[in-house]
Amino acid sequence: MRLILKLASLLLVASLVLAACSLAPPAPVDEPAVAASAADEEKIIYLGAAVSETGKFSREGKDTRQGYGLWLDWVNNEYGGIKVGDDRYKVELIMYDDEGDPDTAARLVEKLINEDRVDFLLGPYSSFLTQSASAIAEKYGKIMIEGNGAAEPLFQRGFQNLFAVLTPAINYTRSALQLLAERGAKTVVIAYEDTAFPTSVADGAQHWAAEYGLEVLGVETYPVNVADVSGIMSKFKELEPDIFVGGGHFNDAVLFIRAAKELDFNPKAMVITVGPSNPKLIEEVGVDTEYVIGPTQWEASMSYADGYFGTAAEYAERYEKMWGEPPTYQAAESTATALALHIAIEQAASLDTAAVRTALRNLDVVTFYGPINFDEKGRNAGKPMGAIQIQDGEILVVAPTNAAVTELNYPAPPWKDR
Amino acid sequence: MGTGTPANKSEERAQRKPSLPFLAPVHSLLAGWIGLVLWLLLLLLLALYPYTGVSSVALFVGSQIFVLVTLASNWNLIGGMTGYVDFGHAVFFGIGAYIMGILVTGAPLLISPEWGFWQALPASGVAAALFALLVGLPTLRLKGPYFSIAMLGTLVAMREIARVLRPFTGGGVGLNLPPILNRLGDYYLMLAVMGLVVSLIWWIQRSQFGQSLIAIREDEIGAEMRGINTTLHKIAAFMIAAFFTGIVGGFWAWQNTYIDPDVVFVEARTVEMVMMSMLGGLGTVWGPPLGAVVIYYLQDLLWANLYDRHLLALGVLLVAIVLFMPEGILGTLGDRSSTSLGRLLSRVGRSK
Repeated sequence: MRLILKLASLLLVASLVLAACSLAPPAPVDEPAVAASAADEEKIIYLGAAVSETGKFSREGKDTRQGYGLWLDWVNNEYGGIKVGDDRYKVELIMYDDEGDPDTAARLVEKLINEDRVDFLLGPYSSFLTQSASAIAEKYGKIMIEGNGAAEPLFQRGFQNLFAVLTPAINYTRSALQLLAERGAKTVVIAYEDTAFPTSVADGAQHWAAEYGLEVLGVETYPVNVADVSGIMSKFKELEPDIFVGGGHFNDAVLFIRAAKELDFNPKAMVITVGPSNPKLIEEVGVDTEYVIGPTQWEASMSYADGYFGTAAEYAERYEKMWGEPPTYQAAESTATALALHIAIEQAASLDTAAVRTALRNLDVVTFYGPINFDEKGRNAGKPMGAIQIQDGEILVVAPTNAAVTELNYPAPPWKDR
Repeated sequence: MGTGTPANKSEERAQRKPSLPFLAPVHSLLAGWIGLVLWLLLLLLLALYPYTGVSSVALFVGSQIFVLVTLASNWNLIGGMTGYVDFGHAVFFGIGAYIMGILVTGAPLLISPEWGFWQALPASGVAAALFALLVGLPTLRLKGPYFSIAMLGTLVAMREIARVLRPFTGGGVGLNLPPILNRLGDYYLMLAVMGLVVSLIWWIQRSQFGQSLIAIREDEIGAEMRGINTTLHKIAAFMIAAFFTGIVGGFWAWQNTYIDPDVVFVEARTVEMVMMSMLGGLGTVWGPPLGAVVIYYLQDLLWANLYDRHLLALGVLLVAIVLFMPEGILGTLGDRSSTSLGRLLSRVGRSK
């Protein structure tokens, strides 16, 4: 009897659960929680961003935050707010820490859109986190403009609301390869880490090598967090290429240079992503970094300027004054991200997403960070990638020619003659 | 299940001055039918929750918590009830995620037409269960730490295999899934999966199958002598746990819209499952779900207040759990004499 009672109550509850599930529940309420605040005296544009403060991207996340912060401080306190028609709008930027974790990032982007009701989104740091964040922005039709996700797959999903001010990864080695081809290089080998961003860089390198008449002798991949690249380098040594292209992260640059010297592998030029434009590489590896070439999104010595922050050098000065350290290119591209949105809003003379989206599509400006001109996939097609070379322990821009400050040293002498 | 036999001393103590007298009976009641009824009632409330007009963020948080509860309960089946501490359980999550990714994108395998979500989801679970059969046959023969290390090795190996099998998995570049998000649907799907898994574990715990698993944990040779087919039982438990972990992995891949080897085959996810199970109470039905909820909010709290030291804090917490309440929250509340924290609680209660 007791068993029957138990079973009956169980069935009752179970059927209630099923009934509740089968009813069509209402769509989630995504109404503005504080719609009334629109009546505020002061007009405010709300921006939102989930950027790593902790986790594996904490270092670059800090640069990104400071880059956004610089623009925010400037636009509110110095520029006097964004002009929308005849009105001036102050900007409020809501920033959260995504911890470098995709689950947390997704939750925060959802929150920014549906609870904080931001008008526009700024991107997180890294291609990896931009992948999931941009999908959420796309779902809700929110514009996400970013400056820290360059991997090609991001722009192959047909998103209408994703814009990136940085030069896409496929163009990373373009300026350097073009310049080297002009200086007589004939052959190239490529090694890259098997993750999204370096793969896009390497695919681009093969494309541009063919474009500039360079013969690709060999392509090798290696896993993330590799500890030793001497196997790849000794294979390449036998091919005797003119150019070595290495795509990876900071530590890989250290490994490439050390392995090349140890194995007496003598390409006439070494082009390595990420590492060389960072002064820490010279500190860590020392004099062996001489002649190494690296692509760079931006350097303070580049000859770009705009009517907002002035020249690149003036921007760097302002940044150092505010944050107490020179800007990395991650910081500069973050400022440029916010600036591009700012200009687009002013050109649209509206806060309407569709109007701003159209303005972004038609945007064609030169900023301290370089030209910004989005293609139909949201990539910045207007900006060439710069290239630097380490000469006498200094990081000097050698390409493109209109931003270069010095001549490329080519070919690099063999290790034994240095 | 039961409260176990309390030591005489603490029984006396409890009779003399019971500090929280309702706890022990509650604990034993929860293991029975009342526990299941309460659980179903909770599910009903959760099913009604979206009707109260919540935002999509709340639904998303809900589905994330359901995912954690499901993972912790699954791990508990093999790690807690059967006593095989699986340090590589995230491998099934990863396999589920990859099967989902490969089937719905279709591109790497050139499957045409691409599969839909609802066809790919069961496939994720089945693939994970089959993989469990494959690795379980050799590894479940290993005892104690050898099994743990073998599973950890499996996880790391699968991560590298996913990286190498570029034509199928997209290699280190990963796979982009179609960006179709439905927070309400996700909420109900994960609620259903969680409800099913936890109810199943409740049933297993009461069934002969579950008793056999516990017998294996307590004394494997003894269990075998009494005629329990230990290999069959272990493999079955392992495959059930893997099946649902694979389902969760497939779901996760779909709602994250992007996977690569480093984001799905990650040790941290196993550690999370272990922590949740241990905090709540290893081998109990309701412990791991409780632990999952507590850890989810605790992480939020720690992250909000400790920034870059939250991992340290979590590590200290894990050590503290092992040292002071190895039987977790439920174990400590149910039979206080067995843990130092429980004894401490009793002492504090008595001195009042």
